Amino acid sequence: MHAVPRPLELRLLLPLVILVPLGFAVTHIAQTSTLDPGPMAVAIGYVGLMLGAHLALRLVGNRGDELLLPCVATMGGIGIVMLNRLPQELLGTDAFGVRFGMATTQLLWFGVGVSAMVLLAGRFRDDGVLRHYKYTWALAGTLLLVITFLFGREVNGARLWIFLGPIGFQPGEAIKVVLVIFIAGYLAEKRTLLAGASARIGPFSVPPLPYLLPMIAIFVIVMLVVVVSRDLGTALLFMGIFLTMLFVATGRRSYVLLGILLFIAGSFVAYNLFGHVRIRVDNWIDPFVDPSDRGYQTVQALYAFGRGGLFGEGLGQGLPTISGHLPIPALPTDFIFAAVAEELGLIGAFALLALVMCLVFRGLRTAMLARDDFSAMLAVGLTVSLGLQTLIIAAGNVKLVPLTGITFPFVSYGGSSLLACFVIVGLLLAISHRSVVDAQIEGRGQ
Amino acid sequence: MIATNVRRLSVYLLLAFASVSGALVWWQVLDAQALATRQDNPQVIATRRSLPRGSVFDSQGRMLASSVVTDGISRRTYTDPVFTHLLGYASLRFGATGVERAWDDVLTGRTDPNPLRDLLNDILARQPEPHDLTLTIDQRLQDFAAAQLGADRGAVVAIDPRTGAVLAMVSNPTYDATGFSGDPATAQAAFDAVAGAADNPFLDRSRQGHYTPGSIMKVLTASAALDAGAITPQTTFTDQPREEVEGFVVNGFTIREHDLAPVAPALWDLSPALQVSSNIYFAHVGLELGAARYLDYARRFGFCQALRIGSDVRGLPIDPSYVSARADGGCAPFRDEVELASAAFGQAAVSVTPMQMALMAATIANHGAVPQPYVVRDLRSHAATPAAGPTDSVLESYGGGRGNPAISSGVADQVRRAMIDAVLGPIGKLYAGAGDVTRFGVSGVQTAGKTGTAERGPGLKPHSWFIGFAPAQDAALASIAVAVIVEGGGSGSGHAAPIGGAVMAEWLKLVGTGG
Repeated sequence: MHAVPRPLELRLLLPLVILVPLGFAVTHIAQTSTLDPGPMAVAIGYVGLMLGAHLALRLVGNRGDELLLPCVATMGGIGIVMLNRLPQELLGTDAFGVRFGMATTQLLWFGVGVSAMVLLAGRFRDDGVLRHYKYTWALAGTLLLVITFLFGREVNGARLWIFLGPIGFQPGEAIKVVLVIFIAGYLAEKRTLLAGASARIGPFSVPPLPYLLPMIAIFVIVMLVVVVSRDLGTALLFMGIFLTMLFVATGRRSYVLLGILLFIAGSFVAYNLFGHVRIRVDNWIDPFVDPSDRGYQTVQALYAFGRGGLFGEGLGQGLPTISGHLPIPALPTDFIFAAVAEELGLIGAFALLALVMCLVFRGLRTAMLARDDFSAMLAVGLTVSLGLQTLIIAAGNVKLVPLTGITFPFVSYGGSSLLACFVIVGLLLAISHRSVVDAQIEGRGQ
Repeated sequence: MIATNVRRLSVYLLLAFASVSGALVWWQVLDAQALATRQDNPQVIATRRSLPRGSVFDSQGRMLASSVVTDGISRRTYTDPVFTHLLGYASLRFGATGVERAWDDVLTGRTDPNPLRDLLNDILARQPEPHDLTLTIDQRLQDFAAAQLGADRGAVVAIDPRTGAVLAMVSNPTYDATGFSGDPATAQAAFDAVAGAADNPFLDRSRQGHYTPGSIMKVLTASAALDAGAITPQTTFTDQPREEVEGFVVNGFTIREHDLAPVAPALWDLSPALQVSSNIYFAHVGLELGAARYLDYARRFGFCQALRIGSDVRGLPIDPSYVSARADGGCAPFRDEVELASAAFGQAAVSVTPMQMALMAATIANHGAVPQPYVVRDLRSHAATPAAGPTDSVLESYGGGRGNPAISSGVADQVRRAMIDAVLGPIGKLYAGAGDVTRFGVSGVQTAGKTGTAERGPGLKPHSWFIGFAPAQDAALASIAVAVIVEGGGSGSGHAAPIGGAVMAEWLKLVGTGG
């Protein structure tokens, strides 16, 4: 391992050195109507962290995709500017006798996430640990999920949290990664069998069940736990990841179609069985029926989009408080996209989506360049988990699908989510690094 | 193989991102304006709270309502409680009523009357500019009418029959709504005080009060029967003189005459029957006309449906008036001939608003066409100092149009002559004569009118009614039509008729008899 240059990454990161502190200053000036740029510690800390991540990737000798980190850092930069601009006491952590505000807490988690990313990108050279012990991973993950469900702490009607002292995290985020690893390992192994053989039921060609059974069994267990713990967004995300990976492995649209039909049937049952699902769906169909209570958040988010318009209200100038409160209670987590769209307008929202798309397409490129099926499947799964998560929450914000409580990757407030996202990017960097190195070796061999 | 599938996947993902982008374009650009004007939008509420609101002036430019912004809260002052029911109130706590509600978007400036400028304001995101309203009502007549009612519960409505312009609209008792605006915290006490007061001051009796009309309905019965050809002004009913004494038996039920006092029964045609207000004569007329035609003509006059003062977009709703029982927002068929015969002289299930009665009188004066009432005359740029009067920059003017024909002009003339006789005729002057404008200092002018004494059942004093118009000697001259009700006021001639005559006379003095 020796240091490598990553010149493109550095050049793309440099604008942040100005833009993030500028964002902090602009919001502070807009909100206080003074010329005081306000405290800069978090902004400087963030920029330093991202430049540090760049240096660390160079030091550990990662030759992976140089666009991933700039995309992530820019999204995170928009996020931290938005979070810093909101009332800091809204969310945060009390740890070690100190109160950390929302932006500070988020910055600390950025630190944790970046460290994990660098560690994976630098040290993770052999994927055998993941591939060979896929069942162990899956069982450990499922166990963690069950423990959370049984002993976790309930927040906002869903039992998704485990607390270790002052620090809470959502194991669901870890299981997302573990599930992708398992499915990738399984599909890479059985891919040829699955793509070849198939049975038919009526017009549908059905996957050869015996080959799929172990994977489906584990997937169903995970889904059951997720659904029972009322984490609808995660359920939708897992389903999406599963079907997408199945499609990439087999190339069969009929599997996906069958999965979607099953999902629709399941949703229909859930709608009639669970009150909270019904509320979500009714809200989605017409939030204006009850705009002051059940439809409140959805309606206020739509107003935020409307206020933003083409060019936005300006950083720090949107989100008018209603009798001292933010217009949308879950703004830093579920509705950060609406906040960005209000203050930066349609242009800002498009820019944010473009960053996600850039990240996703670089991730898919990594998959296409990967040297073995497992790496490819892993890269697809990880990338798709980021892409689908963005799509689900963004589409929920704009009322294309019912709203579910999941985070906008790298932008929303939330430690576990941030850590999981950085783990994903770290793994992508590792996969990308290996294919680059392999290609170089091949090139030299010719 | 995997690479191919990933490429296909990327297309699907692209489509998904494109749909999210499409939804963004919808909410942020295409639907943004609709979102921005929704009443539950916190921004609309905040705007209402802190932005100035246009003023309202009477027809002569006297200030009736104006707003000032102090401490970030828009406070509204109403100068004359006699206008409260008409103007309504604009309160942060209780919403808006009356003209304040119907014209809310214009008063706040949320909508510009000029669509081009409205669009420009949107594009430039301009701060809304309030607009001022001028009413058709002259405060002097409004105050005069209120003074005539005095402490009595009731209503006075006056309309220019030629245009539909409302000249007075008084409901008693009234209240001061100034305390309802401003700080929502103090508004509650002011509101509670009115809500707890006797005789329901919140009720706008002129357009929401429902009353039995009594004999003033004979104007509708006569108009309908003449226009349908069921009677002529010379029609008599042979049995009528006998029935005045013995009663008129319809389907086994005996309809009895009211106390004719100084008048001896005789064989009457239309004019004397209207002068003495013979229930028996008009019961016969109603039966000659028949139930179906009666309902048809009632609807032509505006009964059995919700009406509006102003346009459908910006109008004050008038409660429907009924000639029979209510059914599905209209009038039910008459139950039997007894109900029809009783309705013909304004009893049974007949239930009317003073506004509808004023429109009925105005229809006779307006050659048989029901005027379209309106009360906002024009819309102007906001005057910076409302106490000094409105600006000269009129942005829009409004009118009532020609009205909807209910009966022919010839029939309207016949009814007009009968109504003049009811005031000035040898017998009539004993009754509706109390509404003759010449008794109130106006000369050379004939008055048409009709009194009503609406029986309400045992133990309750009847409602006192009067409708009329003047000058009546030539339909083209009539410049004011009135309807007056005094709740529990006894006979129409005793109480309502003098108020009606005085109000008409006052108006003729204000504008001159030429109109």
